[in-house]
Amino acid sequence: MYKYFLVARNTWDETLAYRLNFVMWRVRTILQLLTMYFLWLAIIPQSSSFLSYSRDLMLTYILGTSLISSLVLSSRTYEVGDNINNGTLSNFLLRPINFFLYHFARDAGDKAMNIFFSLGELTILYLLLRPPIFFQTNIETLLLSLFAALLALLLYFFINLLLGFIGFWSPEVWAPRFIFITILTFFAGGLFPLDILPKPIFSIIELLPFTYLLYFPLKIYLGQLMLSEIFKGLMISGFWTVIFYFIARLVWQKGLRIYTAYGR
Amino acid sequence: MSAIKKYFRIWWLLSTRSAQVAFVSRFGAIGFLLGKLIRFVFFLFFLFILIGQTQAIAGYNLWQIIFFYATFNLLDTLVQFFLREVYRFRWYVVSGDFDFFLVKPYSPLFRSLFGGADPLDIPMIALSIVFVVFSGIMMGGISLFGVAFYILLLANSMLLALSFHIFVLAVGVLTTEVDNTIWLYRDLTQMGRVPVDIYLQPLRAILTFAIPVGIMITFPAKALMGLLSFQGIIISIAVALLFFRLSISFWRFSLTRYASASS
Repeated sequence: MYKYFLVARNTWDETLAYRLNFVMWRVRTILQLLTMYFLWLAIIPQSSSFLSYSRDLMLTYILGTSLISSLVLSSRTYEVGDNINNGTLSNFLLRPINFFLYHFARDAGDKAMNIFFSLGELTILYLLLRPPIFFQTNIETLLLSLFAALLALLLYFFINLLLGFIGFWSPEVWAPRFIFITILTFFAGGLFPLDILPKPIFSIIELLPFTYLLYFPLKIYLGQLMLSEIFKGLMISGFWTVIFYFIARLVWQKGLRIYTAYGR
Repeated sequence: MSAIKKYFRIWWLLSTRSAQVAFVSRFGAIGFLLGKLIRFVFFLFFLFILIGQTQAIAGYNLWQIIFFYATFNLLDTLVQFFLREVYRFRWYVVSGDFDFFLVKPYSPLFRSLFGGADPLDIPMIALSIVFVVFSGIMMGGISLFGVAFYILLLANSMLLALSFHIFVLAVGVLTTEVDNTIWLYRDLTQMGRVPVDIYLQPLRAILTFAIPVGIMITFPAKALMGLLSFQGIIISIAVALLFFRLSISFWRFSLTRYASASS
């Protein structure tokens, strides 16, 4: 396992090597966060609420998306499609490493850096804006929220690998990813908590995997779910994670059969 | 006049080539188009949900908010359509291909900015126009003066956007950093999807004058609604002209520092 630790550490170092790139990326993340923050601040006046969300719960949700995004959505798996298309995948096939674990380790390094920055940014924003924030103090709820986020991390990893594996069949790997990110932005709950949607729409979305990437861990953190709802959510999230794991493995094996190391 | 004709022909030639490249992968073209459409529809849906619950945001009703959003999309897609080449500029600098722009008998700035329109933006431009017109009609109470000022300020916004892109190119020449700068610009303009009035001070003032997202996106829509004073219109035009002048100076300065190191 030590080699995967080194891969994660190298990814961390790599990020530090391209500091300007990373800082600009974080600035962009803050801008996107601030847009939603101020929008919700304008929508929910002081001591008022929006459906089941008071101002402090909504702002906690919006700021919380920054931290959960860093943990769940930061990823380096976008490289997979390019690895396949330019033939560098061959290098991985010759080495005594597991391709899935290698990329998981890359993700871990990237996530560590993003979480580190996200915590710093949130602290600065908190000191500057002094928003009304809800702090969850129940340890069980916090642990359940963390567990849901870790499950989401795995789910997102397998979905991303699958998107990269499109490279086995098509050189066009960015268009599907663009569509995916667009759908994800909306259905993962990055802009708003999904339960503000009309009930019939929400009950369909609830069954999709995207819901469990951001919305579900944050909803647990806010303490707005009963234990039965949390377990139902964890079951659905776990189901999708297992399904996507097996699909990713199957597609990987099928893809390798037609891989021709084109570009090398 | 002949110079305009010449540049139009160059633009047309480069754009038709760019269109051919865009459609090399039909799967990719359809994918990107679909993604843009989904993004547009989803945010629109989000606004409908919001206003459905609150009736108004920062004093603006549903159709006014939709109008702001449609105006943002119209400007955003128009700018991307005409200035897509800026996204490819970094490669020209690091590969040394920018040298070829400098020796051609036409403006290297023109080539770097307008080197190929993006045909995938055309359907989104059409859709945005439909939404601008439709939400404008639904708002009601629009005067002919309002429409005239709206068009004038849209043109002004295009000038501002052009200035931003010239700044990005100049930074690219000086530092070879383009991608992040252009995406930073995109994120800043995204803050204009809703009227800048929703942001608290001093952010609102910064977004209006220092990084004139407000002037670019909120002001034209407000002019149509009759909510912008004559001074506001004059200030908008003055800010755009100032930005344009500064961007041209910065571009010229950047060229004096270009070392052609990669060629």
